[in-house]
Amino acid sequence: MPKLTINGQSIEVPQGTTVIQAAKELNIPIAHYCYHEGLSIAGACRMCLVEVEKNPKLQIACNLPVTDGMVVYTDNPRVKDAVKWSLDFHLINHPLDCPICDQAGECKLQDYYMDYGLYTPEMDQRKVKKNKAVSLGDRVVLDQERCILCSRCVRFTKEVSKTHELGIFNRGDRSIIATFEDRPLNNNYSVNTVDICPVGALTSKDFRFKQRVWFLKDFDTICNGCSTGCNVKVSYNANGVFRVRPKVNKEVNGHWMCDFGRDIYKHTNKEYRLEAVVEKREDLSGATVKGKPVALALQEIGKNLKQAKNIALVLTAQYTVEEYEAFLNFFVGKLKVSSIYYWKNNETSFDSFDGLLIRGDKNPNTQGLLKAAQKHNVKLLPVTEFDKSASSFDFCILAAPENQAVYPDITEKCQMFKKSNEVVCITSCYNDSYNGFKWQIPAKSFVEKDGTFVNFKGVAQKIKAGVKIIPTSVSLEEVVYGLTESMGVSI
Amino acid sequence: MSVVKRPSPKAKWYIPGILTGLKITIKHMLFNLASRKDMITVQYPEEKFQYSDRFKGNHILTVKKDGSLRCTACMLCATHCPAECISITAAEHDDPEVEKYPISYEIDILRCVFCGYCEEACPVDAIRMGPEHQTAAPAGDNFIYDITKLAYRAENKGGVLSKVDDQERHKRGL
Repeated sequence: MPKLTINGQSIEVPQGTTVIQAAKELNIPIAHYCYHEGLSIAGACRMCLVEVEKNPKLQIACNLPVTDGMVVYTDNPRVKDAVKWSLDFHLINHPLDCPICDQAGECKLQDYYMDYGLYTPEMDQRKVKKNKAVSLGDRVVLDQERCILCSRCVRFTKEVSKTHELGIFNRGDRSIIATFEDRPLNNNYSVNTVDICPVGALTSKDFRFKQRVWFLKDFDTICNGCSTGCNVKVSYNANGVFRVRPKVNKEVNGHWMCDFGRDIYKHTNKEYRLEAVVEKREDLSGATVKGKPVALALQEIGKNLKQAKNIALVLTAQYTVEEYEAFLNFFVGKLKVSSIYYWKNNETSFDSFDGLLIRGDKNPNTQGLLKAAQKHNVKLLPVTEFDKSASSFDFCILAAPENQAVYPDITEKCQMFKKSNEVVCITSCYNDSYNGFKWQIPAKSFVEKDGTFVNFKGVAQKIKAGVKIIPTSVSLEEVVYGLTESMGVSI
Repeated sequence: MSVVKRPSPKAKWYIPGILTGLKITIKHMLFNLASRKDMITVQYPEEKFQYSDRFKGNHILTVKKDGSLRCTACMLCATHCPAECISITAAEHDDPEVEKYPISYEIDILRCVFCGYCEEACPVDAIRMGPEHQTAAPAGDNFIYDITKLAYRAENKGGVLSKVDDQERHKRGL
């Protein structure tokens, strides 16, 4: 294994490692635009220049394999001067529209200008004008002026999504990023190009102009869009959740996530949520009453549950392992419920996989549910069998799906559940189909609760509560707790 | 330990103090009666004191030559506002040259501390502190100023022109 010294610190790295990777291990920052861990090496930006002893010219760290006894300097005046001029050449035609650029605040041009900026510009030529706000497809907008031609996005479509839409056209300072014959960039991973764009050239249509990034805070969680369980960062502030970006986890999702996963924040926001308990009164000709405290509602439910003879439980795989554990422990262990139905979404495409990340099983915790059922010796019946004995149930508890978009059969299934006498629907999102139910209890969404999701491979990953959107909402554990209180059962 | 200084017995001799005060009051009264023009008191609200044009009072949103708002909704004013009284909603403009513009721009004038940071932060001279300072209004009046009030109120006479012009900058190749 070759051993090298960077700025006086020595490290031994495996054969074939590049200097920029070795520097990263030593936590030595090296400026770069085109280098990305998940992509091939382009050597286009010339920002990662370093000085190697006994080498007359500066070398790019991203494409320089480590050799034994190498002595590298990243912060001496010669390197700093070279990087300064590299950066200034990048900025020659840059429009400097930071005030209206969504990337401002997390832009590498801004960051490196603080470190290496040439604060007295020497360029007196006119800037080359290119197209602004070019729509590249359903999700991405391109600003050709802001682009520094690092070619990360081009390499992404070539190497990762393998759809080859983007390319660099024309020559010299007229070079632009574009799609061939203006075909749209509409693959299922297109927004990743926005994430890897180090400047504001590619911006997401969904997030565009919604918030300035410095008003947002991030927290890490697991995407609940499908059973892959991608690691994600969720950006939020007091007004709600605004975007979802991938977090690097080489075991699960690498550097990427799909475009459908970007939309999962939407159903956690207020406008889609059930904000309070909704109760359908039987004495007042079916009128609905809203706003009863959850604890009181659970007390009443507990009373009825005590008298119920035949209880049914309908579960979806959108809740955490801990919630299933509490639920099954209570209903199976204490109340001896045996009719437990498993509501699977879209049976036909359930096992499909696109080869990269997207799976047909649109639930984050299918494995967790199956394991919990196995542990409690429960046989999960398919939800289609509910119809057979629907009218015999005097009580039905439904843990409704959080991500309603992936349950196309929601209306049809709810008609079926309504046949049982009293339905308690625990749901985070509002839906007209739930209106006939006796109770609707607001549930926590995945950004508001702690727990574990088990992905398709059986990898258990923790999610953490990062934000409070509906303060009255409860998790299934809290529902069970409320019911045990009112029924006087201890678990 | 704090040392409290007790009032000296001399302080009880308040009559000379009152007389000194009266002397000043009467002196001013006689002076004002003699020359009413030089009187310092202003009969507000019939008469108003004229402040300098540079006084930093109520905000003005400037406009472009075509009369539309100069503001690009970059939110730098809202970011720097210590009173957090500015709220902006941005939207995409049809013209790609403009790109971003505010569909709502509101200043809660009762929260504003008139520090002028918004004016300083603005990169395009879109917000200025105007000379008006009399914000008083009956209770229930709207103290949250919107675009119509900030940019197109009667005092602005159709809008104040911004000094930063994008078209001109583009012509110069910037």
